[in-house]
Amino acid sequence: MTSAVIYNTAFDRLKDTDTVAEATRRMLDDRVSDLPVVDAAGRLLGMFRLDRLFAVLLPKAASMDYGMPDLAFVSDTIEQLRERMREIEDSPVHEFVVKPDHVVHPETSPLEMVLLLYKGANNIPVVDPDGGGLVGMVSARDVLAALHDGGTR
Amino acid sequence: MHGASGHESAVIFGLSPLWVATLLFVAVYAIIMSEKVNRAIIALVGAGLVILSGVATQHEAMGAVDFNTLGLLLGMMLIVNITRRSGLFQYVAIWATKKVDARPWGILLMMSIVTAVFSAFLDNVTTVLLTVPVTLLITEELKVKPYPYLFAQIFASNIGGTATLIGDPPNIMIGSATGLTFNDFAYALTPVIIVIMVATFVPLYYVWGRHLRAAADDRWRVMQFNEREAITDVRLLKQSLTIIALVIGGFMLQRQIGIEPATIAVFGAAVLLLVDNFGKEPEEQSKNVHAALSEAEWITLMFFLGLFVLVFGIQKAGLIDMMAEALLKATGGDFNLTALSILWASAVLSAFIDNIPFVATMIPLIKAMAPTFGGDAGLLPLWWALSLGACLGGNGTLIGASANLVVAGLAERAGTAFRFMEYLKVAFPLMLISIVLSHVYLYYRFL
Repeated sequence: MTSAVIYNTAFDRLKDTDTVAEATRRMLDDRVSDLPVVDAAGRLLGMFRLDRLFAVLLPKAASMDYGMPDLAFVSDTIEQLRERMREIEDSPVHEFVVKPDHVVHPETSPLEMVLLLYKGANNIPVVDPDGGGLVGMVSARDVLAALHDGGTR
Repeated sequence: MHGASGHESAVIFGLSPLWVATLLFVAVYAIIMSEKVNRAIIALVGAGLVILSGVATQHEAMGAVDFNTLGLLLGMMLIVNITRRSGLFQYVAIWATKKVDARPWGILLMMSIVTAVFSAFLDNVTTVLLTVPVTLLITEELKVKPYPYLFAQIFASNIGGTATLIGDPPNIMIGSATGLTFNDFAYALTPVIIVIMVATFVPLYYVWGRHLRAAADDRWRVMQFNEREAITDVRLLKQSLTIIALVIGGFMLQRQIGIEPATIAVFGAAVLLLVDNFGKEPEEQSKNVHAALSEAEWITLMFFLGLFVLVFGIQKAGLIDMMAEALLKATGGDFNLTALSILWASAVLSAFIDNIPFVATMIPLIKAMAPTFGGDAGLLPLWWALSLGACLGGNGTLIGASANLVVAGLAERAGTAFRFMEYLKVAFPLMLISIVLSHVYLYYRFL
C-alpha cells in the first residue's frame, strides 16, 4: 500500500519570490507553522518555517550552536522584536528556506509515514521522485483523517 | 642503544625498537598535524601499535598512562559542566559588563579579565564556550565589531590558563609528572602572568581599543540586562560554588593533606553529582549523570591516554635520552641557555603544533637531564620555561591552541570570520612580547 490515500493534495505553498510578510500572513490564516516553497516549475525548494524566522529575530549569540542557553536577563520589548520583524518583512522567502527534515514520495508506505511522524516530523512534503515536483503534504492530521474515514481525498 | 637492552627480541620481526617506536611516533604526530584523522583516534591507534609491535608490553603501557592527569581533567570537566547549568558564568560576565557602564573598551577589558580568571581555574575551551556567547550578545547589542573582543578573549584564556596548575593541560601534565603543587604553580607563574596580561592590553588599546564606540541608546540597552535573571538554578549555584571552593582549597592544601589533585577533582565532581541528584527519582538521576558524563571532552581524554603510551614507547626505546643529549650538546650543557632555549622553542613550536603532544614529549626529555643539572630539584626553572613557552605560545597563531579554534568557530557561526593571516599579524608579535617578558622573568627570578 502506498501513501497516496493519506497525503493532502490541496495544500498551500509559497513561491520563492513571495515576501516574508505574505508568507507570515498566510501562515496566520492557515494556522500552520511551516509552508513548502516551490520554484516557478513547481519543484520543492524547501520549507519556510517559523522557527527559522524566529532565529532571525533573536541575537545571533542565542540562535547559534553552543550559544546562550537562555535570555531571561535581556529586557527587549515586543516593540523591539516588531522592529526587527519589520526589517525583514520585504525579504523574499527563499532567503529563509531550509531543507526539509524528511521528504517522502507517493510510493512511500503509510507505515514509514507514521514512523516519521512518530519521530517528530510535522509537515512532510511529498515529492515526485522523477521531476522533483511537489505533489502533496502529509501531516499527523492527514494520517488521523485516513485512519478514521478511509482517507480518500 | 639507549634503554633498549634486552628488549629487541620482543619487537615484531626482530626490528630495532628504537626505529619502530620512532617511526610510530613520527607517523602519529604527522597525522595529528595534518588534521586528517581525529586526534583521539590516531593517538589510540598509535598506542595500540606500540603494544602490538612489541615496543612496550600491555602491562608497561597501562603503567605509562598518567591517571592523575586524566582524573584531574575529567573531574574539572564534570564540575564545570554541572556548574554551567546554574547560569553562574553568564551572571559574572554581565555583572562585569555593567561595572564599566557598558563602555566598549571597558567591556573588552572586563570580559578579558573574567575569561583569564575563569581560565586559571577551568580549562580554556570550556571557559571560552561559556564567555564568548555573552560577548557576542553584548557586541551585537552595542553594534560594535566582535573581532577585537574575541581576539582579546583568546589571549586572555591562554594567558590566564598559564597561571595555575589546573588552567591549561600542559600545566596539569607538568604538575602530575613532577609533583609540583597548585601553590607552586601559582607562586612561580601568577606574577609574570599578571604582568603579561597588562602588557598585552596596551598594544590592543592602540590597535582597536581607542576606535571602539557605541551609541548611548545601545549602551543603555546593555545596562538594562538583569544579571540576577541569568541565574537559573540558585540551589545548584550554591552547591557548585561550595564544591568549587572546597576543591580549590584542596588543591592549595595538597602538600599538607597528601592527596593528589586528581583525587580531589574527581571526589569533588562525585560529591557535586551526589548533592545535585539528592532526592531525585532514580530515572532522573540516571539522566542527569549521563548528561554530565557525556559532556566531558572524551576526545581530549582519549588523546591523552594514547599519547602517554606513545611517548612511553620512544622513552623506553631510548629516543628521549638521545634527544636530551642532543639538546644538552646544542646548549653546551649551559643551564641558563637550556632553560631559555626550552622557553623559546616551546613558544614557537606551540604556536604551530598542538602543545599537548609537545609537552608530553618534553616532560621525559627534561627529566632525562636531571643527572646533568643536579637532580630533580635543579630542573625547576626548566619546568617553568616549558609551561610558559607551551601555554603562551598557543596565542601565536589561530591553530596554536584549542581555545583559539573554538572561538574562531563560534565567531564564524555568528558571522565574524577569523582568518589565519589576519590573526597572525597581530597575535604573533603579541605572543613574542609575552615570551620576552617570560624570558626576563625567568632569568631574574630563577636563573
